[in-house]
Amino acid sequence: MWHRSASFILDKNQNDTVYPADSVTLTPPPPSSISTPQNPNPNLNRNMSMSAYYQTRAAHHGVVTSDWLAQSQEAATRAVVTGGQEIVDGGKSGRAFSVIDEFNNWRKQPDLAEAVAAIRALAAVIRNSEAKTMMELEIELKKASDSLKSWDTTSISLTAGCDLFMRYVTRTSALEYEDFNSARSRLIERAEKFGEISYKARKIIAMLSQDFIFDGCTILVHGFSRVVMEVLKMAAQNKKLFRVLCTEGRPDRSGLRLANELAKLDVPVKLLIDSAVAYTMDEVDMVFVGADGVVESGGIINMMGTYQIALVAHSMNKPVYVAAESYKFARLYPLDQKDMGPALRPIDFGVPIPSKVEVETSARDYTPPQYLTLLFTDLGVLTPSVVSDELIQLYL
Amino acid sequence: MTQIEPQNQLTLDLSRKHKIEGSQATARQTAELLRSVISQQRVPYTNQAGALIDAVKAIGEQLIAANPVELAVGNIVRRVLHIIREEDLSLTTAAIGGLNLSAVSDDENDDDRDGDSTLSAAAVAAAARSTLRPPSLQTLLEDTPVSAAVPQTSSSGGDSEGKSKSADKSSRSRKLKHDVIEAVNELIQDIVTCHEQIAEQAVEHIHQNEVILTLGSSRTVLEFLFAAKEKKRSFRVFVAEGAPRYQGHLLAKELVARGLQTTLITDSAVFAMISRVNMVIVGAHAVMANGGVIAPVGMNLVALAAQKHAVPFVVLAGSHKLCPLYPHNPEVLLNELRSPSELLDFGEFSDCMDFGSGSGSPLLHVVNPAFDYVPPKLVSLFITDAGGHNPSYMYRLIADYYSADDLVVQRRATAGN
Repeated sequence: MWHRSASFILDKNQNDTVYPADSVTLTPPPPSSISTPQNPNPNLNRNMSMSAYYQTRAAHHGVVTSDWLAQSQEAATRAVVTGGQEIVDGGKSGRAFSVIDEFNNWRKQPDLAEAVAAIRALAAVIRNSEAKTMMELEIELKKASDSLKSWDTTSISLTAGCDLFMRYVTRTSALEYEDFNSARSRLIERAEKFGEISYKARKIIAMLSQDFIFDGCTILVHGFSRVVMEVLKMAAQNKKLFRVLCTEGRPDRSGLRLANELAKLDVPVKLLIDSAVAYTMDEVDMVFVGADGVVESGGIINMMGTYQIALVAHSMNKPVYVAAESYKFARLYPLDQKDMGPALRPIDFGVPIPSKVEVETSARDYTPPQYLTLLFTDLGVLTPSVVSDELIQLYL
Repeated sequence: MTQIEPQNQLTLDLSRKHKIEGSQATARQTAELLRSVISQQRVPYTNQAGALIDAVKAIGEQLIAANPVELAVGNIVRRVLHIIREEDLSLTTAAIGGLNLSAVSDDENDDDRDGDSTLSAAAVAAAARSTLRPPSLQTLLEDTPVSAAVPQTSSSGGDSEGKSKSADKSSRSRKLKHDVIEAVNELIQDIVTCHEQIAEQAVEHIHQNEVILTLGSSRTVLEFLFAAKEKKRSFRVFVAEGAPRYQGHLLAKELVARGLQTTLITDSAVFAMISRVNMVIVGAHAVMANGGVIAPVGMNLVALAAQKHAVPFVVLAGSHKLCPLYPHNPEVLLNELRSPSELLDFGEFSDCMDFGSGSGSPLLHVVNPAFDYVPPKLVSLFITDAGGHNPSYMYRLIADYYSADDLVVQRRATAGN
């Protein structure tokens, strides 16, 4: 009902047939949605879909009530199992199933970035492959990468990681290694090393941002980002005096986790509810956020609430700094908030919501580049306009 | 030793801060000093580029420390370092191209780029070239240059060409220094002629019957306006005097001497007059990597007034003013406080500013900052000797002129480039 068109009365009649009758947010997807054939992707059903990427983030960093978490995890695994079965029934069954499985294994580790998990999974594909030529290997990889991408369409770093690796593979093969086996082993070796790159990337980003944190400053952070955590950790280790205002980050409440970690480092931390950002923006010197993805325009896609904070900061002339690794650069160009595929996450309000009331469950928003001041990446400090340049160089 | 003296002299001049006026003179002297350092430096047989780079970094560190606010010094040091790396790279690729049919050995590790199989010579050159540029998405997955791990395939025979190799090397050693010095000469030439190159573009920007506003006095702006006058454009100039040094007075005098209709106003009157103005043209002390401008004090208020009235704010800057650093606290770190005597007469105010009287701390403080920081969003256009650009395009020029490794100019303890 809450679509763009003003004629929501007409739409209501159409959509009433699609939406299920009972409570929207708290129940797992009803059996009717899973039985849709040919669809291993758990996200296609608009209303019921749960973004696996944000599920994982919640599981790693969120603070949720245990039975709600059990419910949603059950729902997620049920979708995955169904997805796995669907793929098994199709052709190339053994390969595709193991890719997603492998990916899931890597993904579960809290410290590992999504893109790294994806690349490791693709490396496993190479290892298990029986291809004898580069071309065959590339085709297999392409299939595996496509199935990974379609398994969770909402994860930008997954897509970007797969694309980056595919690009690297095609470029490497173009360098005419005479020996297929050595090329193959080199690909596997680089893929495994990518985990180190990702870890080093966070260190580089932390180093670059140190100069921007001066003594006596107040930093506002939103939710829990591992990169921002690294930045603040390094600043604390360098004995800088600063304090952090941390938003709660509903619905995951991942900000609580960040506050815990900062308190362990003896950094003065103050928790805010999300609505208190404008109230406290006066005393803030800079805003630091992470990013789920950096898009071609130079804007970022991040946890819901980031756009709001950037707008407030911009109107009060406070700089907004983004810390993001370079493998999160994606070839997307959203023109507005709804331009991206939906990534939904169920929200636990603590009380049951009547079925007639809809809930905005999107897990992420898009912040346009004009509200961002600088991006700290492992490629260096960049202004938003440099991002599109980098992407063009890579893909064109 | 002779090479220490000019360096010490320059360091002293820089630290005195008023011995050398202006970034152009500073840049030129720095470049000339570095050129003499390079020509006098003895380079070892192998890894000559590394030796040159180390020598330049050692001197550069001292020069930058002498006057951190004068960014042109650091810029020129980094330009020279980039030149050394580039010349070395082009020599290497030429050498690889020349060794087309002969065997390639892998013990000659002059720089990190070792010889490679002929098939992928071009690829090696491309990869090596890409290591000069700042790290990019393309090279993300390759952490060492491709050449390092390329298997030495069939064409790598033995090192039978040892003799031709060494003959090659000695000619290379002479060539590197020679090329670098030539390139530094070009750099000096660019610095000296930057005003002409910028002034050439004046005609495109200044049209008939325009009113131009400027603040203080900048030689680049002067040449720019003269060039437009030469091409028979008729326009008027408003000059804001630029307190407390009042250099706008000098500029007004020179403009009148050349036949331009000039109006002199105080800095405070800028906001009142800005609505009558078509364009603001100013010079800069330095341009930062994000497009922000370090300019004489008062510039920020002109920029704000121009934005409020939608007047284009054009900054003229020679390429030696382009700095690859991002300003994280420019009002404090990139500013210097000058003497209060420029504002107040010590004679009249001696009782207020006297540290000896009363509680030992005077009630009257005088703050006289020399520079202002203008954020990039207030600047409409940069005109450099490389053409006219957007503030968000500055990073491209920086990528062309500087290498990522040189951002922090520090002599490294370990050997290597």
